[in-house]
Amino acid sequence: MTEETMASTKEGLLAAGASLLWRRRGILWWVFAMNIALGAMGTLPAAMQLNKTLHHTLAGEQLFKGFDLGMFYELLRVPEVNLFRFKTSSYVFAVLFAVFMLFISGGILEVYRQDRRRIDTGDFFAASGAFFWRFVRLLLFSVVPFVFLGSLYQQIDKFSDYVGDKVVTDQISFVIWLAGMIIVVLLALFVRLWFDIAKVRAVVLNKRRMWPNMWHACVITVRQLGTLLWMYLRISLVAWTTLLVAFLIWTKIPPTAIWATFVLLELVMLVQLGARLWQMASATVWYKRQAEAVPADFMDFTTPQPQEMPEPEPQLTLYPETELPPADA
Amino acid sequence: MQLHRLFLPFAVGLFCSASLATQSPFAPKVSGPLSQRVVAYQIDAKYDPAQHTVDATETLTYRNLTGKPLDRFPFHLYLNAFQPKATWVREAHRDGGFRSSRVEEWDEKDFGSNEVTSFEVVGMGDLTKQMKFISPDDGNPDDKTVFEVRSPRPVAPGQEVQFKIKFRAKFPEVIARTGYKRTFLLAGQWFPKVGVWWHGAWNCHQFHALTEFFADFGTYDVKITLPKNYVIGATGVQTSDSDNGNGTKTVAFHAEDVHDFAWTADPDFKVIESEFDGSVGPVKIRLLSYTSHKSSWQRYVDVLKGTMQRFDRWYGPYPYAQITVVDPPHGGEEAGGMEYPTFITAGTEWFAFKGDHETELVAEHEFGHQYWYGMVATNEFENGWLDEGINSYSEVKVLDDMYGRNASSVNLLGAQEGDASVLRGYYLPVAETDSLSRPSYTDMSESSYSGVTYGKSAAMLLSLETIVGEQTLKNALHTYFMRYRFTHPTQEDFLRTVNEVAGRDLKWYWDQAVYGTQVFDYAVLRADSTPTNWYEEDATEKPGETMYETQVILQRKGDFVFPVEAEIKFDNGESIRERWDGKDRWVRYVYHKKAQVRSVELDPDHRITLDRNYLNNSYVTKAQRGATEKISTYWMFLTQLLAHLLSWLV
Repeated sequence: MTEETMASTKEGLLAAGASLLWRRRGILWWVFAMNIALGAMGTLPAAMQLNKTLHHTLAGEQLFKGFDLGMFYELLRVPEVNLFRFKTSSYVFAVLFAVFMLFISGGILEVYRQDRRRIDTGDFFAASGAFFWRFVRLLLFSVVPFVFLGSLYQQIDKFSDYVGDKVVTDQISFVIWLAGMIIVVLLALFVRLWFDIAKVRAVVLNKRRMWPNMWHACVITVRQLGTLLWMYLRISLVAWTTLLVAFLIWTKIPPTAIWATFVLLELVMLVQLGARLWQMASATVWYKRQAEAVPADFMDFTTPQPQEMPEPEPQLTLYPETELPPADA
Repeated sequence: MQLHRLFLPFAVGLFCSASLATQSPFAPKVSGPLSQRVVAYQIDAKYDPAQHTVDATETLTYRNLTGKPLDRFPFHLYLNAFQPKATWVREAHRDGGFRSSRVEEWDEKDFGSNEVTSFEVVGMGDLTKQMKFISPDDGNPDDKTVFEVRSPRPVAPGQEVQFKIKFRAKFPEVIARTGYKRTFLLAGQWFPKVGVWWHGAWNCHQFHALTEFFADFGTYDVKITLPKNYVIGATGVQTSDSDNGNGTKTVAFHAEDVHDFAWTADPDFKVIESEFDGSVGPVKIRLLSYTSHKSSWQRYVDVLKGTMQRFDRWYGPYPYAQITVVDPPHGGEEAGGMEYPTFITAGTEWFAFKGDHETELVAEHEFGHQYWYGMVATNEFENGWLDEGINSYSEVKVLDDMYGRNASSVNLLGAQEGDASVLRGYYLPVAETDSLSRPSYTDMSESSYSGVTYGKSAAMLLSLETIVGEQTLKNALHTYFMRYRFTHPTQEDFLRTVNEVAGRDLKWYWDQAVYGTQVFDYAVLRADSTPTNWYEEDATEKPGETMYETQVILQRKGDFVFPVEAEIKFDNGESIRERWDGKDRWVRYVYHKKAQVRSVELDPDHRITLDRNYLNNSYVTKAQRGATEKISTYWMFLTQLLAHLLSWLV
């Protein structure tokens, strides 16, 4: 038995997801460490140039003891300092982190699926590698709805401008834009949820064909939309609230307390990353509960299509199709 | 023009239209005339909100004070600037836009026009067919912003001539200080306006993207008919408001000793009134705003009172009975930030944070123009810096006094910025492009015009304080205002006044800062200390005992010569200030002390905002890491956050 199944299945999804996240917190530490490391590498070129420019001038005091926007602008104007010149480095390391997360998603979900007491590093990376290209395909599929959402946002923006031009009450355009933004955010959450379920399903059932898997996941997500979306939304709200609270705390920190600021900002990052993993853990818990509560054929939601090739034998013993290994195995 | 000439009595009824007025346009302790009153406009206008047009008849009485017979009269038709081939549009398109208007693609909503349907010179007949468009600045045959007529017989010196003009004005969607947005209208530069006879010739430039306006002082009596649900505000004071019984009303305004007339209307306006008690009696503050901007109403009133009080005390009295402040609606920002006599447009946001003083800055700046443009009516086409620059300098002084020198523009979430720094930000990218004295409409680009006219001018005057003193410069501006109010002074008048009040010839400074494009950049090149017994093999350094030779080298990197001050600090707490005339390319200071140099800083009081590079103005021997660590911390967090957001998508 896994720890989760040993615990009461009546435990709320969020609590179960949080519990799973905490039991497998090693993943969070690793993800956070990688985020810090890549963030630091992305910042290094800018930091070195800043140091070169500011370390023997009093001008920096105006940025240290407060934050003089004029001096900051002055700094940006110096061709060799211009921080925007270094944004490429940040972009590169940000993309690397995203690729890293994509790569280990399979491992993370496998660990959450198994929920074993110890995480075997070899198994973790084996699972990561086994699912990487499947998840790349899912990522490519997800581009379509995300691009659609981007386009929808643009249309809402244009429409609110149009209304702003026409209506008498000048705030109505902003209200439209805000309402539109809320809809876009909810739709984005839905898309994320949909593809997360597809990933979970791919891991739990060792699905190889991502196209039908994606559509099955879509059907599942739509059928359980209320429960799932509310689950994701609540976790997101926790993350956003933390951000807001951190912002309020930040306004109280003295401008020269750099270490306190650093710690606060990193705590914010930890919570953001934790919230993302919490979503993944909760989705896994939800899917496993569905798998246990409903017959297997219902779990697939559709009769296997005739042209679909039979699933090959799993190469890794980590992926049983039906029975979950005992926790102490 | 000397001040005493302004108060010569005029023939009764010649230019004074007081018979129409039931309320004085002046503050209680002021009586006119205050200017020569070259012109008297009477306009009867009817506004059609559906078409955004005004049909009007204008009677202009022009008094020939040129000392010469005149038979040629040029007129501005500013709204014709908003046509695809007009010079204004060409220039705005060339420079990638004007303020927030991008002018990249032509949109019919941008179209504006002034069409004169009838032009009669009283006693000389209808001259409509003799109207001829001219382009004195660039020869653009498609520009219709200036026309001239020749009268059949000249108007003798001292005599007057009356023009009766029928015209239709069509407004564009708000652009360049005029136009409509939904039901809102700002009617600026909307009527045919005669040029100014100045220095022996007509001065009537085409409408350019880079500059503003120039007109003669006089009186205005304007009646505007519009739907009766509209709230209206205008230059001067309202003298009547009559219901026409057909769903419209006619509102009359009267103004004296002003050189332009603008008005605004919107049925959604809310009127907020307050009063400033100045040295010449109370002045009514009439704010026209919107419910959605309610959080800014008190801010407007507070900053206006604070500004009026300081201008009154520092420079001289505001003589009019009223100041009307227009707060444009959302989307109508292009109508904001503009000055007309006794009438200004400001600007704010729905969610304007208190620590962001943009709302205050714009209102303050535009009120300042009542002095530097409204009363001291310089030629904005040619010497934009005389109104915008001096006004920007005044803006810094007022806002610094009200909100603190280092936070007068922004004081929000731990970030600060002084207004002088904001203006310096305009100037830095264009430090060597145009001189202040160059005719403004010929400046290189819109950014150069704004950088030089606003930013460099303010920096030039702020830096001058280090030479003549802040109070002396304040006295000079007071003298300049009192001497030249209600006239059209030149830049030489201004420079001469400063010389006179400062009691010294500042030609060396004007040559570089006003007439030249020299770049100001002084730097600390070297600062270090070496033990004087460096040659001894077993020499050891002991704090407070070892004698050091300290070398400090200051360098003039630019071609602008200016006396600078440097502060040298030692590790025993000692501090020395050196003043260098800045003429040579560099200077060396040598000190022998039982202390090592800790830091050297040029312009330690941070007053010389003309200096193009602040980063080389100091040298600290001990490495400073605070700023680097701080910025890097935020940069790293943003990188991490971006990474997280990207990973959320995959």
